Amino acid sequence: MIYGDKHTGVIVTGATGKQGAFHIALMNEYARQVGGEGVVAGVTPGKAGQEVAGVPVYNSIHDALKEHDASASVLFVPGFAAGDSIMEAASAGLSLVVAITEHIPVHDTMRAISFARIHGCDVIGPNCPGLLSPGEIKMGIMPVHLSSRGHVGVISRSGTLTYEIVDQLTRAGLGQSTIVGIGGDPVIGQTFRDVLRRFEEDDQTEAVVILGEVGGSLEEEGAKATDLPIAAYIAGISAPPEKRMGHAGAIIEGGEGDARSKIERLRRMGVPVASRPSEVPRLIKEIL
Amino acid sequence: MKLLEHEARNIFREYGIPVPAGFLIRSPGELASRMGELGERFVLKAQVEVGGRGKAGGIVVADPTTGERIAGDLFRKEIKGVPVREVLAVEYLDIQKEYYASIAIDRSTKQALILFTEEGGVDIEALAKERPEAVRRASLPLLMRDIPPFMIRDLLGAAPKEIGKVLNQLYRVFSEKDALLAEINPLVTTSEGIFAADAKLIVDDNALSRQGIKLNRDLTDREREAEMHGFSYVELKGDIGVIGNGAGLTMATLDLIEYYDGKAANFLDVGGGADQERVMHAVRLVAADPSVNVIVVNLLGGITRCDEVARGIISAGISQPVIVRLAGTNEAEGRQILDGSGYRMMESMEQAVKAAVEAVQ
Repeated sequence: MIYGDKHTGVIVTGATGKQGAFHIALMNEYARQVGGEGVVAGVTPGKAGQEVAGVPVYNSIHDALKEHDASASVLFVPGFAAGDSIMEAASAGLSLVVAITEHIPVHDTMRAISFARIHGCDVIGPNCPGLLSPGEIKMGIMPVHLSSRGHVGVISRSGTLTYEIVDQLTRAGLGQSTIVGIGGDPVIGQTFRDVLRRFEEDDQTEAVVILGEVGGSLEEEGAKATDLPIAAYIAGISAPPEKRMGHAGAIIEGGEGDARSKIERLRRMGVPVASRPSEVPRLIKEIL
Repeated sequence: MKLLEHEARNIFREYGIPVPAGFLIRSPGELASRMGELGERFVLKAQVEVGGRGKAGGIVVADPTTGERIAGDLFRKEIKGVPVREVLAVEYLDIQKEYYASIAIDRSTKQALILFTEEGGVDIEALAKERPEAVRRASLPLLMRDIPPFMIRDLLGAAPKEIGKVLNQLYRVFSEKDALLAEINPLVTTSEGIFAADAKLIVDDNALSRQGIKLNRDLTDREREAEMHGFSYVELKGDIGVIGNGAGLTMATLDLIEYYDGKAANFLDVGGGADQERVMHAVRLVAADPSVNVIVVNLLGGITRCDEVARGIISAGISQPVIVRLAGTNEAEGRQILDGSGYRMMESMEQAVKAAVEAVQ
């Protein structure tokens, strides 16, 4: 597993919102099943003293850390406040922020990531489902029932497509080490390259699935920088240029980032690329 | 959102970037009354948000004798299907040299990417591919207030020093206006000085409210309705309607349709929390497109309730067949509800897509 394990204490920012409260309960249900720490505190400015899903709420991360041990935070705050929450977590000394939030202004993301880097804090997301290490820890909103513990790492720019592939891997008997949703925004913290580097140092992970989509070139940059066996699926081969396909980052701009050329570049590097999601398990079995 | 040239130009001017003299008109008559401000020759530029408007006849040179007639022609035109409602009239510049300057977002470094070349008026993407050495580039963390002097020196090369000020002000615009792209193409020198002969500014949709900018896109009725419901919706040219949850899964559904030689009519991502009401609206919206002959619904989620989704599909009450792939909680109930009403529920997205393609063949 990477980024955290059973012993990782988690703080949820935006705890008292509907989403925050709902997912604190699910994360802690999973933590109970696997015997992990789970969410130890929630933070919402002005709501100190409340309790959400059995978890105490504080005004700031700083206050929460006086009472609890934690090294990561998961954000459910609205877009306009998310950049601020990332910086607060980094400034308070947390080493990981998982930003679930969608619709963060991209300049806020860029500034917050630069700020977090100065404090040695990694950011996953924004606009992501978070991560799940089956049997260890869940930080985010991924459904757990489709996953199983094993040796395949998954890195994805998408949410539900990740669940689809994880389901197919599980059905094919291929368990997962850690599943990381890196986010669908144009600028994201941890990229394919960063996560692959973590997987390289992880004894549990033997092969990695890269789930990419149109827009940018992070998939190729990641594939080029690793010697782990990887297989890929790239969504958006039928996407028209200059149209945003749901995700803010899923857009073919200036003739760059289309699926066909992405797939071609990956194949030239020797990376097997599935033409359909259902081919992924076979490709992984071939490289294992 | 891409601003119109005259909107971007006003912002550039506020930041001290010199722009040619001129004004916006909404009719040929308005031009006639202010022609005196423009000199012996001037340029009329259609204010439409499509790219390549020059080649499409949206930019014309005129003089005081021909101005009103040429403006009249321009107002009657459609540029790539977009009607011309506003025209920017600007003085004609006697150009000595053209440059190109832009600031964009670099996904790889997560910083601002500054591009400058001494070969302006070009297709920058083509130039960057053919002769990358002709395009100078620098990355700057958005935490910086200004472009450091060394970086400006590196970018400019032999270009006039005064351009450095323009570059820095363009960066200020980019940084303070939540831009995804701020571009001057061409940036020109004349005997009078330096001018931004064009102005392009794309502002982040997620920052429009704090920038006080209203979204004014030319949307189709269906696109407008989709926006109202918070769906991500893109119209395409085929006959298979598509509804999914999550951008990646929906895109993958479209791709699978293409793989099986079908053609998708749209991309519709219902987003999180697909309940009965949202699904009903999505199905009705997609079915309202007359080219849609069959609809594939592909919903996968841990917390999506299949019985709710099934009721949503049925309550839409549309005439086209709907082929459904659902995974989540209460799957069996969802299937029972759909089976009882003559809809087809499939085990996998692959099966659902195959069935839809067969249905239209």
